[in-house]
Amino acid sequence: MSAAHAPESVILRDSLAATERLLSEAIARAGRLQAFEVLADLERCALAAARAADCLADDWHGERGELLHELRNHIGAMAGYLELLLDERETLDRRLLDDLDALRARAGELLAATAPEANIALTRAPAQPAGERGTLLVIDDNELSRELLGRYLRRQGHTVLAAASGAEAMAILAGHAVDLIFLDLVMPEMSGLELLARIKSDERLRAVPVIIVSGIADGEGVIRCIEAGADDYLTKPFNPVLLQARLNAGLERKRWHDREESYRRELERSQRFIRNTFGRYLSDEIVDALLENPQGLDLGGVTCRVTILMADIRNFSQICENHTPQQVVRLLNNYLGAMSSVIMAHGGTVDEFIGDGILAIFGAPVAHDDDARRATRCALAMQREIHGVNERNRAEGLPSIAIGIGLNTGLVVAGNIGSEQRSKYGVVGHTVNLTARIESYTGAGEVLASQSTVDEAGPGLRTGRCFRARPKGMAAEVAIHAIAALDDDAPAAAQPRGGTPP
Amino acid sequence: MTRILLVEDNEMNRDMLSRRLARKGFEVLLAIDGEQAVTLTLAERPDVVLLDMNLPLKDGWTVAREIRADARGRQVPIIALTAHAMSDDRARALAAGCDDYETKPLDFARLLGKIAALAGARGAPPP
Repeated sequence: MSAAHAPESVILRDSLAATERLLSEAIARAGRLQAFEVLADLERCALAAARAADCLADDWHGERGELLHELRNHIGAMAGYLELLLDERETLDRRLLDDLDALRARAGELLAATAPEANIALTRAPAQPAGERGTLLVIDDNELSRELLGRYLRRQGHTVLAAASGAEAMAILAGHAVDLIFLDLVMPEMSGLELLARIKSDERLRAVPVIIVSGIADGEGVIRCIEAGADDYLTKPFNPVLLQARLNAGLERKRWHDREESYRRELERSQRFIRNTFGRYLSDEIVDALLENPQGLDLGGVTCRVTILMADIRNFSQICENHTPQQVVRLLNNYLGAMSSVIMAHGGTVDEFIGDGILAIFGAPVAHDDDARRATRCALAMQREIHGVNERNRAEGLPSIAIGIGLNTGLVVAGNIGSEQRSKYGVVGHTVNLTARIESYTGAGEVLASQSTVDEAGPGLRTGRCFRARPKGMAAEVAIHAIAALDDDAPAAAQPRGGTPP
Repeated sequence: MTRILLVEDNEMNRDMLSRRLARKGFEVLLAIDGEQAVTLTLAERPDVVLLDMNLPLKDGWTVAREIRADARGRQVPIIALTAHAMSDDRARALAAGCDDYETKPLDFARLLGKIAALAGARGAPPP
């Protein structure tokens, strides 16, 4: 069976395909004439022809003789049914009789072409189906209809699952992702309508398009199915063009739904990710802003202008030495919990706790026009809140604490930093380092800010001592101001920069 | 009425052939495997057995030998329906005790002729 002989198989395949087309025309005619007995036998012919055609298309591992026999057996069955019909030619409609005669002649040609003495070279010649493919479920209690439709669809390249009853269909649907269902309307036990109701009441299956397959006389039933959620219907005998069109429309619908679904899931995943990643150290307000505008959130690394706030407890090492570890942890939790609340209330991002130290960011991942002002106000509020923390500490027999806070405004690189195993949102850059230096100059209860923060804090800022310092590793001296108060402290709602006001 | 036992496992061929035979006035009994074929032949002693040789479980050659081995089946005419036109199949069928053979797909007119010849030889009048 060399490739050079392939055309013989191709001719045979085309000839079978032509026979199938003739058959479907005859079937349609018998349907129109309501010649139901002829129709049933023509459908058997069609099934035999489909089996024959599939012999050439299937993966055939047997020997040539077996394939030839199989092929001829199916063609012979088709010829037999045609002869059976033609035995009663006087009862047949004239045009139907012409169809049958033409088909019988074709069957004869096919038998001659495949006769052992014709010595035809048989190679598989699978057709190359075009168009969309999917996993289809054919539900029909009639074995012949099920196989006929199944073979037709399989040849289009679809994966076809078949069920003979409603119960079988539900079992298949439980275990397979199905793109479209062909559902026979009239079935014993569970009717098509009942099964349809089950499918449409199942959250997971509701979106699978259902095409109802019915006989000519089932108009009323079809209407009830459409009302019950069926997507489309087909009347037996099938018109192949109509079948194809409705199948394509159904698959298209399913594909759109799947895309929408996967987009929705993707969105949910990213929202979950944002909540998990930021929920613990961002205010709800900012998380919501991120969720509303997820594409604006580029965590891959961006340069942005932020105000950094750093705070730590004065003489913390001494406290650690004089208290039990349990006391130290309770003290820290009291303190960090209270400070996180204050920072979040001011729209800041708690980026990190380093021991007793806090690093908070104002302006990333979401920038606002008043980041420096809110950071300053936040620092003052934190100092006030320390009184509350100390009251709780005293009640629990823990020592009082005092903190120093440094503020600095400038450019940082913000993004998810780390390895695949462990990464966190954070900021890096000179601005961060300088903030640490400024913070190191603070005394107990003091807030110190760089010139840039003072410049951007806005009206009503009252400063105390001012000094110039040249922090370690810095080329130039910087001006550092003690922050005394920020007047006109009307609580302004934080608006994302560039966002639309409500 | 001439009674024919049709032994055929393929549902479509069985349906088609039995209906064609019934239309010609034969009474048709059906068997779908070799086991049924032997049992029915011995119990019903039809006028002709049409025996598909490629049967599941028990093939046609075994069926023919078992029928011939039983006194009740010794005289029942058997026409083998063989898959291949190979003379080997024919020789094996005749060796197993079949009276004649036809190659599938069947030439119905020729098959009717053979049925008539065998049933007539046995004394049953053709329909």
